Amino acid sequence: MTISSVLVANRGEIALRVVRTCREMGIRTVVAHSTADRDSAGVWHADSSVQIGPPAAKRSYLNVAAVVSAALQSGVDAVHPGYGFLSEDADFAEACESNGLVFIGPPAKVLIDLADKARARQVAAAAGLPVLPGGMSTSPDANAAKELAAEIGYPVIIKAVAGGGGRGMTVVREPEDFLTAYARTRATAQAVFGDPGVYIERYLDVARHIEVQVLADRYGNAVHLGARDCSVQRSRQKLLEEAPPPGLPADVAERMAQQAVEAARHMGYVGAGTFEFLVDEENRFHFMEINCRIQVEHPVTEAIVGMDLVREQLLVASGEPLTVTQDGVLQRGAAIECRINAEDPARGFLPTPGTIDEFAAPAGPFTRVDSHCHPHMRVTPYYDSLLAKVIVWAPDRAQAIARMDRALREAVVRSDSVHTTIEFLQDVLAHPLFLEARHTTTLVDAMLAPPPTHTAGGPS
Amino acid sequence: MTDMVTRIDAEAALVAVCQQVSRLSGAGPVPSRMRIQMGEVVVELEWPASGPAEPSRPVAALPGAAAEAAVEERAGWTQVRAPTVGTFYRSPEPGAPPFVRVGDRVQAGQQVGILEAMKLMNAIVATSAGRVTEILVQDGMPVEYDQPLIALAGDGTGQEPA
Repeated sequence: MTISSVLVANRGEIALRVVRTCREMGIRTVVAHSTADRDSAGVWHADSSVQIGPPAAKRSYLNVAAVVSAALQSGVDAVHPGYGFLSEDADFAEACESNGLVFIGPPAKVLIDLADKARARQVAAAAGLPVLPGGMSTSPDANAAKELAAEIGYPVIIKAVAGGGGRGMTVVREPEDFLTAYARTRATAQAVFGDPGVYIERYLDVARHIEVQVLADRYGNAVHLGARDCSVQRSRQKLLEEAPPPGLPADVAERMAQQAVEAARHMGYVGAGTFEFLVDEENRFHFMEINCRIQVEHPVTEAIVGMDLVREQLLVASGEPLTVTQDGVLQRGAAIECRINAEDPARGFLPTPGTIDEFAAPAGPFTRVDSHCHPHMRVTPYYDSLLAKVIVWAPDRAQAIARMDRALREAVVRSDSVHTTIEFLQDVLAHPLFLEARHTTTLVDAMLAPPPTHTAGGPS
Repeated sequence: MTDMVTRIDAEAALVAVCQQVSRLSGAGPVPSRMRIQMGEVVVELEWPASGPAEPSRPVAALPGAAAEAAVEERAGWTQVRAPTVGTFYRSPEPGAPPFVRVGDRVQAGQQVGILEAMKLMNAIVATSAGRVTEILVQDGMPVEYDQPLIALAGDGTGQEPA
């Protein structure tokens, strides 16, 4: 069916992002919002809005009944879940489908297959993607799990099967630490995700995080839109993303992308999805997970392929075939995205709520800013700390880096209490390892580590 | 029915509040000061310590707020608000008498309506005791979270809803 109206079940910059494309396509928008977001950019720019609950996400953005009710009473055709919140929730996708609403995302059965990370790993392996040594271990028997870890070989990583957003993971380097870590990760998984299930995998110390953007329709067509490098992370939260991945041999990039497309077809994937991989020092790639939604860093891909991914999502959800074939996807130049978060890098990226007195977004040639920020905006403690995404494009990486540095210098976020990642991101751009594209996921930790002390006779 | 959830209805809600205020003013001493704001919709009323005074006109309402209005506690008024987004029903079933009518006295905790969300029937209960002065939303209409549904005149023990 043609989609003529959409409920946006999200907030912040992504709510505005979706509203913008809908406006361009002549699609009516309704933004579902909590009381904390009643006065927000997404709500202002939508055709209408529905207040669905109090600030706590559990009772608003994560409340399936409230979101579905809001969609039904608004009379919309479809629901766009954005990222996070209910975007990968199979129950929500099913609730939409059973109420006659189009869920803009993969079918519920695909979400069920991929929601459990251990199962996603099996599905990926069955589809031919290379996975790291490891396996299923939902047993509470820690000793059996320890035997498995010994088989895999240390270091290992224990991951919650229901985990996400970089949480619910523990790296274990020595066998004697295993039992404690295992019990602790299970307890955390139970507390945070309501499921104590975990699995164990070989851990790569030195690796780059590289992901492939895939687009698939309902008719078995699938294409990739190239890869992104997201190795600049702090505690597994991405800070800076770029495309194409610098220094990755073209044949490796091509093989990754091809295998991701094949796997997407094999598992009946529909819509926009991201296949995440770890790439080791020998440029071997290993499947990590699939993100079944639009991602925060999607504008980087949009910049190099010249396509609007939200538009593609909406067209696929309307039942249309893909607008491009693989040969029609042309990648040009280099793009970088920086995430300006309300966080204090000096205090371990602690979120800093408060009021923003002054806000000015960068502009200029090939500079895009996706943000819901405005002067006098209150940064509430209820949601994630993303304030703005700055995306630049240039014919090559060196120019893109210079352009991003220039753009970040223009960004103004003045506040007594809100700190930002702007200066830290500038330090990343100037870091020799980053400039030479030799950085891995350890870069941010290395930057934060206190400089080695050489003063033996200093004050005690 | 979708009109109910637009910003226009924020203004409608404000109009309803203003009507309440004027009705209240007609019943007793006239407020000496009135402040109505539409941003974080606020309605403030002040009565003179003694003797009536000229009513002042409400200040212009600002558009763009969600459907919500608050009456200051000192006015002795409270509202029963929607516990979630859904459809408001005044009666236990179609054709049955409503849970409450204007003029009824209700106790804190008493059921005054039903809110249906995804075929789940949620009881709407009064959060404080009082006398029903107005039903603010028609039977079977969609409502947003926290939208005022029923106005109560407090009986001295009334408290603002949490």
